[in-house]
Amino acid sequence: MFFQPRHVDEALEIRGRMGSDVTPLGGGTDIVVTINKTSMRPKHFLDLTHLPDYTHVVRDNGNWVLSAGATFSQLGKLPMKALAAAAMTVGGAAIRNTGTIAGNLGTASPAGDGCVALMAIDAEVELTHATRGRRTIPIHEYFTGFRRTALLADELITGVRLRTDWRTAWYKIGKRGSINISLVCAAFGMSPEGGVRMAYGCVAPIVMRTRLAEEIIEKDGLTDAAIEAAAQSVMKEVAPIDDHRASANYRRAMCGVLARRLLRELRIKNTG
Amino acid sequence: MRNAEDGIRTPALPAKRTATAPVRTKPLIDPSTTPYKESPKGPVGRSEKRIDGTEKVLGTALYGADLFYNRADYFAQVVRSEKAHARIVKIDTADALRVPGVLAVYTAKDMPPGATNRQGLIHRDHPVLAEDKVLYRGDAVAIVVAQTERAVVRGRDAVRVEYEDLPVVADFDDALAEDAPKLHPDGNIMGGKRIRKGDADAALAESDVIVSETFVTQTVDHAFLDIEAGIGQWDGHLLTLHVSGQWAHEERRLTALALGLPMEAVRIITPATGGAFGGREDLSIQVYLGLVALKHPGKTIAMRYSREESMRARHKRHAMRIHYTVGAKKDGTLTAAKITVYSDEGAYASTGPAVLRKAASHSTGPLRVPNVYVDVYGVFTNNNPTGAMRGFGACQMAIAYCGMMDRLAERLGMDRVELWRKNLIRSGDEVTTGQRIPIATAIECMDAALKQFRSKKKDDRPLAPHEKRGWGMSVICFGLGYGDGFPDASRAIVKFNAAGRLEVYTGGVEYGQGLLNMAGQIAAEELGVPFSQVDVIWADTGRTLESGSSSATRQTYFTGNAVKIAASELREQVLDIAGKLLGVHPHELDLHDGKAVGRYNAKLVVPIDKLVEEGRRRKYSLEATGIFKPRTVCENYDTGQSPRSFITYLFASHIAQVVVDIETGEVRVERFIACHDVGKAINPQSVAGQMIGGATQGIGMALMEEVIMDDGVMRNPNFTDYILPTFRDVPTIETVIVENDDPGGPYGARGIGEPPLIAATPAVLSAIGNAIGVCPHTTPCNPQRVWELLHPEEAQVPYAARLSLAPGHAMMFK
Ligand SMILES: Cc1cc2nc3c(=O)[nH]c(=O)nc-3n(C[C@H](O)[C@H](O)[C@H](O)COP(=O)(O)OP(=O)(O)OC[C@H]3O[C@@H](n4cnc5c(N)ncnc54)[C@H](O)[C@@H]3O)c2cc1C
Repeated sequence: MFFQPRHVDEALEIRGRMGSDVTPLGGGTDIVVTINKTSMRPKHFLDLTHLPDYTHVVRDNGNWVLSAGATFSQLGKLPMKALAAAAMTVGGAAIRNTGTIAGNLGTASPAGDGCVALMAIDAEVELTHATRGRRTIPIHEYFTGFRRTALLADELITGVRLRTDWRTAWYKIGKRGSINISLVCAAFGMSPEGGVRMAYGCVAPIVMRTRLAEEIIEKDGLTDAAIEAAAQSVMKEVAPIDDHRASANYRRAMCGVLARRLLRELRIKNTG
Repeated sequence: MRNAEDGIRTPALPAKRTATAPVRTKPLIDPSTTPYKESPKGPVGRSEKRIDGTEKVLGTALYGADLFYNRADYFAQVVRSEKAHARIVKIDTADALRVPGVLAVYTAKDMPPGATNRQGLIHRDHPVLAEDKVLYRGDAVAIVVAQTERAVVRGRDAVRVEYEDLPVVADFDDALAEDAPKLHPDGNIMGGKRIRKGDADAALAESDVIVSETFVTQTVDHAFLDIEAGIGQWDGHLLTLHVSGQWAHEERRLTALALGLPMEAVRIITPATGGAFGGREDLSIQVYLGLVALKHPGKTIAMRYSREESMRARHKRHAMRIHYTVGAKKDGTLTAAKITVYSDEGAYASTGPAVLRKAASHSTGPLRVPNVYVDVYGVFTNNNPTGAMRGFGACQMAIAYCGMMDRLAERLGMDRVELWRKNLIRSGDEVTTGQRIPIATAIECMDAALKQFRSKKKDDRPLAPHEKRGWGMSVICFGLGYGDGFPDASRAIVKFNAAGRLEVYTGGVEYGQGLLNMAGQIAAEELGVPFSQVDVIWADTGRTLESGSSSATRQTYFTGNAVKIAASELREQVLDIAGKLLGVHPHELDLHDGKAVGRYNAKLVVPIDKLVEEGRRRKYSLEATGIFKPRTVCENYDTGQSPRSFITYLFASHIAQVVVDIETGEVRVERFIACHDVGKAINPQSVAGQMIGGATQGIGMALMEEVIMDDGVMRNPNFTDYILPTFRDVPTIETVIVENDDPGGPYGARGIGEPPLIAATPAVLSAIGNAIGVCPHTTPCNPQRVWELLHPEEAQVPYAARLSLAPGHAMMFK
């Protein structure tokens, strides 16, 4: 069956009733590739793209509230450096116009650029069930393992919340300028209270934060010495592998390079 | 009919001088006094609209995959080896045959009597269906036929093949190890090629400086967009195949041989084709379709590959390891080059021998090197077979010789441009093979590229502290055509049809490069008819004559000449008719703008349509055939020397400007200039298109493209991980077309095809070296490799370890 509900309640009801037998469908830019490449054949689809307000992005009381279906093209316009820049490095224009933030969270790839950016700003993911209602969990609790998340089989991702007042920075290293899979990517955020988040993609089975390095900066501030100590710490904390895209040595070294580069950027610029 | 055998007269040259004689600095022939000073009056030299443009833009052109949907009765799929090297113990088809809709499974045993079951463009050493062994992961083992596409895929996946594993020969080092398993009866060295000119060892010993380097180039995929697809049927007498290719007539010959059919029983019709780059020179699905069609007479059989199958099945560009040593005097004058090349042939030879020869004959490019010693070896491995690809051995060597110039300039503390200028050949000098080049325009190309580079006001953006900017240059030469004595000819028919339109028949394949316009514009020019009056009928073995392959940068020169010869024959008929009609000698008339016009009397005018009608009444054939078949001379087996290894040479120079992030190794190409001497641009827009496309492909080879093989397993048979350049990776390519007429080319044209790729890669590498202060030696220079150049101790596979086994300058010829 191919369900195409027009109301959120209807979508939640179908998902609640059918659980993992039904596959939520956003832009399809991950699902369709998986179907083409593997033997995976979803029994039923739940197309969410016709829900009202599915792509809305609004400002609410010091927060950005992203509907699940917000596309990368939309996120690219947000005045939030890490998320906007990350969004603009996803795929090419066609992928950015169709790929959604919920899809990125649903796939939960360690190379998910959106996931890394959200990790750096302590975003909250909103998971909703037809009868149990809505729960909001911090992003770092959302990822639980390699392509595993806290999303239950009968829930849908309905939105993402993030604060508007963080300073952030982003960098992605890839082999080309567009349609570019990250070899390593990093998003850093700093709250007005001085909280520091340093998130990395492609250097562990899940999108990760380098917490020891964060502590160094939170404690000592963005001094040259602290930045260097944080960079050294990052290189010990990450666990990259050798694969056909890049070597572990290279990825590890790049984590250090990006630590220095992005921390300095946070120091110099009053970024959004 | 005129046979233009040896239609080109090479100017008389002084007696051969010894290799150590002083090098001439004055050109033998002044490049400006060339034969076509008067410009053509008609479409030659104009960017006429593409004949196939509208249908391609509108999507009405029928490619292989379009025919597939329209006409298929049955579908076929190939069962491919999952092992890189194994003996086939058993092929169990029972499960496959139980799949509803599956009609049959064929293996090598089902080949018709008399079939050779072999393919391969030059060496036919590749079983179409494996007989007892598989030699790469992708070797064809069986073919499944079914009534639907879904059934055929299920049937393919249900064929069980039992293998006995054999040790995998993963690279040169494995292949050359003493206890290596023999992949072919004669061992793992497929063949070799050598050049012995002067005394390289002695000259090196006397040189003021010696520079050595080992270059490692990658395996490259053609990555054309139009994936292999097509249809075929056997009507009891004739096997008709609609499959995209690059050389319809050779595809017919090879298909007939493989299936044991007489050549007349096979007809190849090439559909609209989207790109080839050498990737369609070897057979793809022709024999599979043919075999299934023979088994199911009257039915239309369809096949298509997925991208993954296309990448896993098809031959690739040879990865090479090039040990290069040059010697020079203090002032930069080159004295000697000693070069050893190992080329990964993969599992089967195919065009390997020709690629080796081209690598050898282009090993010092456009440089004057009096003493040269070259050994090139083709080495079998269990990787994908290798074969033709744009650049054909010459592009790997250009990476090496251009790279050596940068290293030498650095060692001597000399300006790179001055070093090039000192050593580039002049008109009348010889290349490595001893062939004298009457019109050598390497310096002219270099200067034109430099002029363009310097002309633009510097509006370079300011750099971040972790960024470095650099620029690099390449200068290359390229012998067009097959060369080296290989038979090489084009034929064409030009005629007026019943409707009075001019028809040009060529066996050449149009795959996007612009062959139809080239042929059409030349015919229209010669006959003075408007270009809109011309139709080109191409690549159908039932209707057109053999015109050789659309490869080797040869179609403009070869088919262009054949068309011109045929058209000029037909022109004589038309002038003859006009002369009779007007009562003047035909010589007093000229054809242009659709009319016969008096040369000396403007009042004499007759429209060509009228002359065609009149000719038909007077029983003129209104048709002519042209053959262009110039000879080249085989390179000497012991020395690699030949007075005329190639029919003519092309020159080019590229300049790249890059910004390198020295912390991450990312490279951004900021500016790119491509300058080519094409003789005469028949259609300047097509020529520029080839320059832009080739440069883009060369940038891909320099920075990102790479087939990653890991113990015989391809890690990236898809466009997610086989990284092709996008618009963001390529700046505007600034094209500079230089025109020095070739005395033997049609309207002075030489060609364009391959050189843009060949020149691009080394220019980018040179720019990276200039930016970071370390010259690259391994391609592609992706971010990790650039970073490893700056941090060699961190390299994934240390550069030195990769070069452990294969001896440097070895002598392995028996
Ligand atoms: C050419 C190409 C380039 C790409 N480049 C990048 C890149 O640079 N960076 C990057 O991060 N990704 C990239 N991707 C991957 C992909 O585009 C992103 O992951 C995108 O965010 C997926 O979103 P979607 O809406 O298309 O997801 P879909 O394919 O529709 O869904 C993905 C998964 O999420 C689940 N899902 C979707 N919506 C919900 C929901 N509301 N509730 C619960 N589960 C849900 C689906 O069931 C599925 O499991 C690329 C993909 C392609 C094809």
